[in-house]
Amino acid sequence: MKSFKSALSSPAGRAFLALVLVLAAGAIFNADHAFFKIGTQRDTLRQASVYGMLACGMTLVIVSGGIDLAVGSIVALAAVCAAKMAIHWNWPWWQVVPACLGVGALCGLVSGWVTASLRVQPFIATLSMMVLARGLAKYASGGMKVSTALPNADGSYRYVEIPALFHGIDHSIFGGNLSVVTLIFLVCVALAWLALARHRWGRYLYAIGGNEEAARLSGVPVVGAKICAYIASGLFAAVAGLCQAAQEQQGDPEAGAGYELTAIAMVVIGGTSLMGGRGGIGLTLLGVLTIGYLDKILSINAVPEAGRLVLTGIIIVAAVLTQRRGRT
Amino acid sequence: MRAKLFALLVFISLAVAGFAQPAKRTYTIGMSQCNLGEPWRVQMNADIRAAAAQHPELKVVFNDAQNDTLKQRAQVEEFVSAKVDLLIISPKEAQPLTEPVARAFEAGIPVIVLDRAILGDKYTCFIGADNKKIGKAAGQWIAKKLGGKGKVVELKGLMTSIPGQDRHTGFREGIAGTDIQVIFEADMKWLEPDARKEMESALSRFDHIDLVYGHNDPGAHGAYLAAKAAGRDGIAFVGIDALPQEGIAYVQQGILDATFRYTTGGAEAIDTALKIFKGETVPKKIVLGTRLFDKSNVATGGEALP
Repeated sequence: MKSFKSALSSPAGRAFLALVLVLAAGAIFNADHAFFKIGTQRDTLRQASVYGMLACGMTLVIVSGGIDLAVGSIVALAAVCAAKMAIHWNWPWWQVVPACLGVGALCGLVSGWVTASLRVQPFIATLSMMVLARGLAKYASGGMKVSTALPNADGSYRYVEIPALFHGIDHSIFGGNLSVVTLIFLVCVALAWLALARHRWGRYLYAIGGNEEAARLSGVPVVGAKICAYIASGLFAAVAGLCQAAQEQQGDPEAGAGYELTAIAMVVIGGTSLMGGRGGIGLTLLGVLTIGYLDKILSINAVPEAGRLVLTGIIIVAAVLTQRRGRT
Repeated sequence: MRAKLFALLVFISLAVAGFAQPAKRTYTIGMSQCNLGEPWRVQMNADIRAAAAQHPELKVVFNDAQNDTLKQRAQVEEFVSAKVDLLIISPKEAQPLTEPVARAFEAGIPVIVLDRAILGDKYTCFIGADNKKIGKAAGQWIAKKLGGKGKVVELKGLMTSIPGQDRHTGFREGIAGTDIQVIFEADMKWLEPDARKEMESALSRFDHIDLVYGHNDPGAHGAYLAAKAAGRDGIAFVGIDALPQEGIAYVQQGILDATFRYTTGGAEAIDTALKIFKGETVPKKIVLGTRLFDKSNVATGGEALP
């Protein structure tokens, strides 16, 4: 009992408890044993992956005391660019992937520069980028989904093959039991963890999030470290956009709307503080799994939309309240 | 001699100028679109543009209200003060746009209302498709396709929206009296990723599914991707909307078994506008039929259903 209590005194213990409770709910409301099928597990992890990638970048930004609202729109922009390059222009994958990442990094660079150098509040700076990137996505796609149906000059359509890149990403390995998208997410987690927990830059971000002025006085390159956090967030969002396009087999300029809020919820449920300076990627991974499984359990039980929203809202608030109580 | 030549030149140039005068007057049509964020509405504008291009005397000015009711209201007022010859509006909402449209109508501008209705009767003509009828046609086609019995998944559009509700109730009317069971239904909010997610849940719960009815083509396409990823064959997919680059393309690629067109009414609006300009009387309400596109008829442009 004592060890149980001490486990709950750490944010990781509490985030883990939340995940266990959700999994227990899934075991009870298993929808005729559908919850226990390996396919369900694979789908749950795949569906949470795109949000999870955003949450990785979001964690870096939130630890530094910022927020990145632009990630959902960058997903759409990267998805449109990927579809345009891979389907319409027939680029090979080794050109599409770096180009997409470049677009994401550029968006992050602008957000970071406006926030760190021009000292605009992150909320406002990334809100502007959210609107701007959405506009660019609509402009690049002409307001239509970029799909394998290409318009001819006379208004009719011709159809092209789905690019190999998309098939490669939207694919399952290990006998169809693990999605490549989930693998990409795990790589993102590993990279973000290395940066935040093992690299000097990660220490800088914690220091800036804890007390920016103190960090600056002790010689932390505040502006550079912050800009890099937003670039990383843009990069992860671009990876998410590529995965989104591959799974939809098209680039939808409306994709990713509201994803930034899900990503923030995942980070916060994990126990990372929105005030900055506290948290970690491991916590975010627990948050991603908690929301991912919650979503799946509501879906396999065919809970109506209204009920889903109410339950999700209640559970997020409950999880965040437990996290806060532990901090005093 | 020179004076005569000059007079001749003057006469010729006057005559040419006289003939060059347009025989008919030109008409300016103001088109207020509530939101160009949806492919279907982009298609509506494209249909209007294509139909108007056949008639050089028509000039259409397009405006996009970006899903903002008050912006659309301002646009209607701008068109009235610009004294357009006719107003086409696809309103975002009924109540707030009823009065601005009525004012345009009372100012003597004929008004064609497209897709979504407004309140009262202060407009010239309403043109729209009937989602309930389309849902019913889809239900009847599905009942025929499955031979009157089978297990169906229904992926619904946003159920707080009228089109979502109508496509649902129409479908249930269409399959009423048959042994078709809807074993799983979920709200995918018109979104393809959500449809794929819900379909994956349906697939892990049920080992046997005969057909998926999606309230729009992207929804049906998302369900197809889910089934394909899970390696499940023998499921038929039916969608609605039949946009050329979406539903029709999917039927041609063998992804969907059928799709039903939700006609934009763009071409019909221009036809009606021409009748109004000629002084003919037009009906107060035009309900558009749907078109069925399936494997057998997609190459020949589908089959009109009443």
